[in-house]
Amino acid sequence: MRLGLAAAALMLLAPPSPVGSWRAVLDLAGGTLPFTLEIGRGAGHWTARLCNGRECHPLSSVRLRGDSVVLEIADYAASITAAFHGDSLSGSYRNVGNRGPRVIPFRASRGRWPVTRAPATLVGRWDATFFSDFGSSPRVFELRNGTRGLEGTLISNTGDYGHFAGTVRGDSFALAHFDGSFVYLLTGALHGDTLRGVFHAGLHSETPWIALRSTGAAHLRGPTEITGADTTAPFRFAFPDLDGHVVTERDPRFAGKVVLVDVFGTWCPTCHDSAPALVRLYRKYHARGLEIVGLAYEVTGDTAVDARQVRRFRDKFGIPFPLLLAGVNDVDAAGATLPQLHGFTAFPTTVFLGRDGRVRRVHAGFYGPATGAQHAALIREFEAEIERLLSGKPGESGALSRP
Amino acid sequence: MGRVVVLWIALLSASRVVAQLPPQLARERADYAAWLATSPVSPLAAIAQQPIGDGIELGPSDADIPLGGVPRHRLTQRGGAVTLDGPTGRRAVPRGVRVRVGAYTLVVDGPAGRAVLTVFGSPRPHAHPEFYRYQQSLAFSGPLAPPQRPGRVRVLGLDGIEVEAAEAGSVLVPIQGDRVRLRVLRLPTTGGEESELEIFFRDATNAHGSYPAGRFVTIVPLGGGNYRLDFNRARNPFCAYSTAYPCPAPWRGNTIAAPVPAGERYTGGTVPASAVPAEVP
Repeated sequence: MRLGLAAAALMLLAPPSPVGSWRAVLDLAGGTLPFTLEIGRGAGHWTARLCNGRECHPLSSVRLRGDSVVLEIADYAASITAAFHGDSLSGSYRNVGNRGPRVIPFRASRGRWPVTRAPATLVGRWDATFFSDFGSSPRVFELRNGTRGLEGTLISNTGDYGHFAGTVRGDSFALAHFDGSFVYLLTGALHGDTLRGVFHAGLHSETPWIALRSTGAAHLRGPTEITGADTTAPFRFAFPDLDGHVVTERDPRFAGKVVLVDVFGTWCPTCHDSAPALVRLYRKYHARGLEIVGLAYEVTGDTAVDARQVRRFRDKFGIPFPLLLAGVNDVDAAGATLPQLHGFTAFPTTVFLGRDGRVRRVHAGFYGPATGAQHAALIREFEAEIERLLSGKPGESGALSRP
Repeated sequence: MGRVVVLWIALLSASRVVAQLPPQLARERADYAAWLATSPVSPLAAIAQQPIGDGIELGPSDADIPLGGVPRHRLTQRGGAVTLDGPTGRRAVPRGVRVRVGAYTLVVDGPAGRAVLTVFGSPRPHAHPEFYRYQQSLAFSGPLAPPQRPGRVRVLGLDGIEVEAAEAGSVLVPIQGDRVRLRVLRLPTTGGEESELEIFFRDATNAHGSYPAGRFVTIVPLGGGNYRLDFNRARNPFCAYSTAYPCPAPWRGNTIAAPVPAGERYTGGTVPASAVPAEVP
């Protein structure tokens, strides 16, 4: 009897189980960023995922500390710590910066976000302009109704921001992307035939924007216009592979082949979209003479740490082509190691080399699956370019030359 | 078109000027104190900050930055890339990433060609940062007036590193019967799309309780075109914690004649007048 009372008392004192689905928000200065937190039970431990609609990002650990749950996001040295208040949680998301802690208030309650569908007047492709104090710049929004309600993405000159999911109320919407590191919220409303709103990044940054329905005319700079290349000589590179052997463009495996040089980083979300697509291209065209080589620009510059990260990336996507440790993920630094590229700005960047080893095309950025039709069109474009190069025909897009 | 003058309003009436510290602000201050005390890149651990220029040497006593127990290393920049050469070879030093050398942590930041190295050792023991008593009357909200001349300007950030900031506008704040217009710059932060709207200001408490060279305060969007300016959140630049950092020069026009007894105090003793830089244009 006494033991039973003690056990009951312990149960009352113990924090409730975190297992379940949580409607979560980050309270940004200018609005609330909604996402779903899913906590499950694994073999002897809890598991958790941050979800934006149908797309989820696994967390590295879940543990209870006192009356709080602590969710670790090890890849980004970030965490969410929140105390239980009945069936709700409140606390903060934080990661550690070089100028102080970055802390954003977090709240959650048990349950799932209702699925809300956007009216036809909202869905589709929109040409947007962002107005910041640093100047104006173009974006494209792709909005659609998915199985979990309104979803879409934002596309800039150099790629997309990943998958966004959100809610709709009348002609207003809020779309969020929170993966444990990037904190993005797009809010807007339809005024006549014009969308107006604010793009929130992090706790404080707000960029107003205005968008008109796309006419089909080019709004963004083409990915091949962004980075130029010296086409007068074969494209040169020399970097160690994951076993420390230096691989160059003169390696026999590249001789007389069409080569795609994938300039990527394991830290880059868009590169996680491009990797499986490149693997598919490799499997489809390798027998006909396509080679791919990945040049990894990593976070630490410490060979052992970076090699471990790249091996993990290789194994995750089953990458059959060589990956080389090219340097660190600083755009200037990366550009300096590939002096034949001019105006290098984006990870990933795909460099298409003809059978003579010269640059035929440079594609900055990558439209991931979140962009829907854009992604499909890009894959078709890549395939057409590879077919042309394999057949030895001149490329329609032409080589870029700014030697 | 005439210029619309919108005066910012205090968030609560002046009759209740001193109020309890809001829990959110209390948490922010506790987080900041913990970061100062424990982070390997806390300004309390900074021992040197120097532009890399044509290259700098680290290690022995005759190096540009002597570091006990560290053999000679040389840090150079080329085409935006920063590399560190030492007895064990060459390695890249990405911006914003912490690199360990012996007992020290190196962090490189700043734009291509103007990279700056900060060296950190062990955090020095330091009392918690001190703050003035919370004053609700020094928390304001209102709109941001557009800049008279849009443009960019190079200024030092909180951490003494030069950034290219954009003129974001100004705010008009009532302080002790005066209407004070304060210039707001947007300072980029590392990576992504983020930036902060900052005011670097001086006031009559400087050298009389607050840091002599002035303080930073971030203005925060509230939605609907309004922003919050809460002087209770004013922070000292990192040069208040370590002489390793240069102090930002006061921004043109951002001197408040009245005292602003809110936000972070300074208890570090006397700072020579020569350590307070002149105003930037």
